[in-house]
Amino acid sequence: MGALWFHRADPHTLAGAYALDALGGADRARFERHLSACPSCSQETRGLRETAARLAASTAARAPDGLRDKVLAAAARTRQHPPRVAELKSAWPGRRWGMAIACGVLAVALAFGGIAFSTRHQLSQEQARSRQIAAVLNAPDATMLTADASPRGTATVVMSHRARALVFTAARLPALPSSERYELWLVGTTGSRSAGMLPLPRAGMTAPVIVSGVRAGDKVALTVEPAAGAAEPTMPMVIMLPLPS
Amino acid sequence: MTDSQPQASPGQPGQPAQPGTPLAALLGQVARGDHAAFGALYDQVAGQVFGLVRAVLRDPAQAEEVSQEVLLDVWRNAARFDPSRGTAMAWLMTLAHRRAVDRVRAQQAAVAREQRVARPDISYDSVAEAVEARLDAERVRRCLGSLTDLQRESITLAYYQGRTYREVAALLRVPVGTVKTRMRDGLIRLRDCLGVD
Repeated sequence: MGALWFHRADPHTLAGAYALDALGGADRARFERHLSACPSCSQETRGLRETAARLAASTAARAPDGLRDKVLAAAARTRQHPPRVAELKSAWPGRRWGMAIACGVLAVALAFGGIAFSTRHQLSQEQARSRQIAAVLNAPDATMLTADASPRGTATVVMSHRARALVFTAARLPALPSSERYELWLVGTTGSRSAGMLPLPRAGMTAPVIVSGVRAGDKVALTVEPAAGAAEPTMPMVIMLPLPS
Repeated sequence: MTDSQPQASPGQPGQPAQPGTPLAALLGQVARGDHAAFGALYDQVAGQVFGLVRAVLRDPAQAEEVSQEVLLDVWRNAARFDPSRGTAMAWLMTLAHRRAVDRVRAQQAAVAREQRVARPDISYDSVAEAVEARLDAERVRRCLGSLTDLQRESITLAYYQGRTYREVAALLRVPVGTVKTRMRDGLIRLRDCLGVD
């Protein structure tokens, strides 16, 4: 997957150029997006990066005399970044913990996503939707998945196999031009089914979307599509999450 | 996460990290805000960082400035180093190389590119005195020598001069697809020659 944007070319051929930082900004961003969905490419790229780094051995030089003091002094007044905690790989936290976080995230999302209802009908639709969301969150088998795909945003999914449904919300997705929207997909072994367009974000948060008809082995994917939606997901995917079995 | 209080002074008395401490272990200590470990890390890598950045940027003053940014980035992001994704040295040199390359490209975008001779010019003479470093450099040179001319030129133009693969293709007057392929198969050959796992 993810090969469409390379047109005919095998994306693997770019691994060398990427490892050498020989891709321009746009090419680099695309390749990184591709990497996140292609384990074999990441494996190869890792080895090539290690190799490229060894090339630096032949240019080693004596650093300027004053540099050490400057660097250490700058470090002394610089706050360090915390470690990344929510990575795709270790994305399934314990249930209890997870649900507490999920409920928090979703509550915030609901608050921001609160819409001014103009009619009673819209309000009752919204209430029905909230009830469905609550049913998934409170399902005894509910599990939560968080994916930090920074800088492309963070996605949180709460899923219940019993309800065959999931709740999806995202934060900090890059803004799109008005002609484009984010579309959610269920990607199964037999193809992709659209799970609807994401609501426009408010203050960086996307209101939760309820997705029903989830099947075993499905993955959840997010793509950028024309505002009216697409028949098939357009590569590359912004985020793709395997669901727990 | 350890707090880095502004009043924390670098090189404070604590027990200094051993000179031979592996880089990954030093990074772990640095991630917890250990200034002495950061000093030891500096001593291990500053020469390689500065040398590489200078090779790409050419201008020693700019190279010093960018090296400082890189090393400060290491301090700031030490907690984000993930040993399951590669070695500490590769993480660090990737950071340094990318910073240098990004600086070159930002300048290119602002100013029309000055004409340079399209010849990889690697300053072997400035290799650090350390025997080990010299052996590493020697091995790199020997392995580069085992590549085809096109593989070697594609790799050195990109790595030591910060060219994009499209620029390399134009400089060497070969199709873009060929350069992509040579960069990859050249690096694979280098990887095997250098014994990178």
